[in-house]
Amino acid sequence: MLSAEMTEILRLLHGESGALPDCCAAVLGVDHVVVSLAVDGQITEQLWSSGATGSSFEDLQFTLGEGPGLDVLRTGRMILEHDMSKVAADRWPALLPAMAHLPIAALFCLPLALGGITLGVLTALRSTARPMTGQEMDDVLALVGGLTLHFLAADEDRVDAWVAVSAPLNRGLHREVVHQATGMLSVQLGVSLARALLTLRAYTYSHGRSIIDVAQDIVSRRLRLDEDDSDPDPDPPEETRG
Amino acid sequence: MTTMSREQQVSAVFVQVADSLIDDFDLIEFLQQLCGHCVMLLDVSAAGILLADERDILQTVAASDETTEMLELFALQHDQGPCLECYSSGRARTNIDLGNSAAVSAWPAFAAQARRSGLHTSHVFPLRLRDRAVGALNLFHHGSQSLTSQDASLAQALADVATIALLQQRDIGREQQEKAQLQYALTSRITIEQAKGILAERWNSTPDTAFRALRSYARTHQLRVSDCARGIIDQTLDTDDIPHP
Repeated sequence: MLSAEMTEILRLLHGESGALPDCCAAVLGVDHVVVSLAVDGQITEQLWSSGATGSSFEDLQFTLGEGPGLDVLRTGRMILEHDMSKVAADRWPALLPAMAHLPIAALFCLPLALGGITLGVLTALRSTARPMTGQEMDDVLALVGGLTLHFLAADEDRVDAWVAVSAPLNRGLHREVVHQATGMLSVQLGVSLARALLTLRAYTYSHGRSIIDVAQDIVSRRLRLDEDDSDPDPDPPEETRG
Repeated sequence: MTTMSREQQVSAVFVQVADSLIDDFDLIEFLQQLCGHCVMLLDVSAAGILLADERDILQTVAASDETTEMLELFALQHDQGPCLECYSSGRARTNIDLGNSAAVSAWPAFAAQARRSGLHTSHVFPLRLRDRAVGALNLFHHGSQSLTSQDASLAQALADVATIALLQQRDIGREQQEKAQLQYALTSRITIEQAKGILAERWNSTPDTAFRALRSYARTHQLRVSDCARGIIDQTLDTDDIPHP
């Protein structure tokens, strides 16, 4: 179950995020939290950083082309090294000596991912070695889930607005048929899974329908979307607002 | 298999289970086989395994019958149904009559979907971790058969095996590791659904058919289904290499 603090942070994700990295670090019991976005398995943009150590660590991975963040992007699996002194030297042969001067004794890297859609990576760093507690794990998993949904829609203002008003955020995303429809759409339109999911959500919004119904229509081939459908109707039906 | 006595069948299943629990086993495939074992050993019509995510929402990770209709029935249980009740209480419940008024009023959408699928009886067993549940094993009958207490013990043992497979325990950072493993199972599931969609569209088939082909490809090449799914998505696996229906 989420802590009250993380619930509040997730609520704030859609507003100004200035102080959020520091708040997250405090709730997660770590010193620094860094969030980077990725394209094609490469870290492209550092969006969040709660201190110089986090930025330096991320820059080192970028410069050396190796590290847990890149491993997470490649495999989609989180890396939890709660005692860096136990990590074998050949795990990240260039990075480990280069980061030796940074106060990092524990490192947690989690993908911002929805199945095979990987948008980036969250890195949490601590100067003392210990595992995360069960509560901290629940909170960090909810945080990467919230950030993933947030960034999925971030390149489209109107879709972003739609995401913000449709609580709970993850409505429909627990349904297999939505992910199947996303896969089918990505082939039909020749776009990425992330783009396909956006198109599906935008269509759902502009037609005032449930995402599950639309997904079922796509999977059973009663409905075929065009690339144009990714543009939500500028004047959506009144009943779908709020 | 049919000529074996029930005891022989049970032993054979547990031997196979123990053999599968080696390093690097395919978790989703393992849980699906376990659902298949439930159907055979307990003579039920369908079995599914649901896990709770970090928000306490139940998600399907495996089912004996991966048709859209069955997956829908499990999916509905994120907010109602015997699995949710079992997950909250941590207690097993057997011989639930899905047609009686108590079930219909407690779980209207779930009971209606079950009836549409011709399912009349349900049983549910917790995936137990210490003093709480992390998910549930859900069994269904088309008819109104009941499980004997001996069957119920066997079902609980199979649910415990699922928990063991999910949580390969380590001493240090146990909770951290457990939560990471549960999360991995849930993520793998979504990846597989996305890959089913990609294959279904390429082959003009249903997602169910696509999944059967993907699963048999993974088995033949001794790969994890979830790794194959990921390979399809990031295009490191050429879908033309997968024999399709």
